Amino acid sequence: MAEALVLKIDGVSKSFARVETNDITNALENINLELHQGEFISLVGTSGCGKSTMLRLIAGLITPTYGQLTVNGKKIEGPSPDRGMVFQQPTLFPWQTVEQNLSFSFRMRNNYGENKDKVERILKVIGLENFRRDYPAQLSGGMAQRVALARTLICSPEILLLDEPLGALDAFTRMNMQDEILSMWRENRQLVVMVTHDVDEAIYMGTKVVVMDAHPGRVKAEIPIELDYPRNRSSSQFVEYRNQILDMLDYGAKE
Amino acid sequence: MNTEERNKEGILVEDAKSAKKLTRDMLAELEQKEKSPARRALDFFISVCPMLAAALAAAEYIYVPNFERFVSSNVNPERYLIFLAVPAAIYLFFWLHALVRYRMGQKKYYWNAVHKAPLYSVLFLALSALDLLTLKSGKLLYPFIPWVNDIINAAIGDWPNLLKSCYYSLELLFKGYFIGVAAGLLTGIACGYSERVNYWINPIVKVLGPIPTATWMPLIMIIVPNLHAGALFIISLGTWFAVTLASRTGIQNVDRSLFDAARILGAKGHQLVFRVAIPSAMPNILQGMTQGMSSACISLMVAEMMGVEAGLGWYMTWAKSWALYNRMFAALVVLVVIFNAVTNALNAVKKHALRWQNGVK
Repeated sequence: MAEALVLKIDGVSKSFARVETNDITNALENINLELHQGEFISLVGTSGCGKSTMLRLIAGLITPTYGQLTVNGKKIEGPSPDRGMVFQQPTLFPWQTVEQNLSFSFRMRNNYGENKDKVERILKVIGLENFRRDYPAQLSGGMAQRVALARTLICSPEILLLDEPLGALDAFTRMNMQDEILSMWRENRQLVVMVTHDVDEAIYMGTKVVVMDAHPGRVKAEIPIELDYPRNRSSSQFVEYRNQILDMLDYGAKE
Repeated sequence: MNTEERNKEGILVEDAKSAKKLTRDMLAELEQKEKSPARRALDFFISVCPMLAAALAAAEYIYVPNFERFVSSNVNPERYLIFLAVPAAIYLFFWLHALVRYRMGQKKYYWNAVHKAPLYSVLFLALSALDLLTLKSGKLLYPFIPWVNDIINAAIGDWPNLLKSCYYSLELLFKGYFIGVAAGLLTGIACGYSERVNYWINPIVKVLGPIPTATWMPLIMIIVPNLHAGALFIISLGTWFAVTLASRTGIQNVDRSLFDAARILGAKGHQLVFRVAIPSAMPNILQGMTQGMSSACISLMVAEMMGVEAGLGWYMTWAKSWALYNRMFAALVVLVVIFNAVTNALNAVKKHALRWQNGVK
């Protein structure tokens, strides 16, 4: 990779108009962030703080009201497989088999022919070779989310956006998937931006935790997590980070 | 050396491995309650019953004397026996096939036969009962209700006309149906997408939708010089309504997050319509096509009975007006067979197209 990737969020605000009342909601106000390749950013905050809006802006699914988002100086206009996104729900196409879901992006861009081996490889990586002809309705939640992740990763995105990707999974599947995502990230070193409700998950996975505040959505703090991987959830530093972040979110220990 | 590996639960590893190769049949059998020998014998007897019932119906037909008035009027009596023998022989063939498969360990064919056998048996007995009530006793008034062999004779005697009528009916039905489906898909999908198209189409659907399309037939008969074209229009109209409504609902209810996912994966413009929206709306669209077919069948019958001078509906009214009730019944039977075949074909298409909807195979 020639140039290390930089994602700049410059004075971005995003407002929505409510359909019934015409009230304007400021989902995000004056966000300034600079994120670099190889970082794993965890976005935490109470609901309504605009975490998901931020991801959708980076993905290019929506456009900012003010300000701009740039990748290496180039303005983000519209979604692209280079900025892959995984949602809380797997959002697999239910009428397509696992294999067809994985190859969807190639088929949309008419380059499936030269990328067939990538589908094979990723099926092996996620361990679902025997389920290639199954439809999403036949998969368990964890399996489906693994396919969704693979479907995004197969395009080798420079930026990976994770919108509470593990939120709908049970605790054990969740911990397994956290490790899977981490090992995948440490191999490829993309920029990962993950939204989560779970402070432990944010600290366990992120190189940096961005704490956000609501009404209007803004960045409250950026906390670099200086711990080596794999991290120990019960180490004293870990607990310290946790207390610090919970305090900021007003969920700290009350005296 | 200990070759018998056991896992934690003490189950032989070999067993656990072979358990993976369980077939569906084996699974069903393992989880089923043990059947007693008497129950097994009864099942076997049940599976033979359709053949016995067919034989009984044949014996009744041959040995019970005809009603005195009909002694000489049942011509070609052997045709009814062939009519009984053909389904009985088909069943016999499948029964033998099931027994062979049963020996090979595939038991579902046999259980399927046991499951269906009572129904088939009763069908043969019902035919026999009808024969007793008509040909054998004259209890049901001839010629309004003819005996089966009489209907068979009528059908065979007039088969060129029946066949022609079938052809006309099917041609009209499918022409009208496909025009309606094509137009319905076009407007339904456009309505689902575009508020502006919906603005103009919605009032039409709302005002005219609840009215059965057959209502327009008298009007059509007056204003359209060519009744065939009029019938085509009526049939298409009903199908169009059903398909438009269903596909609009389907498109409007496509999960928005699927579009997000598709856009992020690089889908653009028409790909979002053809590769995401339409497949996702398929259950609704096919539902509309099924409804459209039943509406088309109704319209077809009304059109043929009211004006179009061809087809099975016309044949039935024509036979009735000449008091040829046996021919009327023959046409009715053909209609039942055709409409069932069409519906089954459509259901098969639906099942195949929506195979992704079922959970575990």
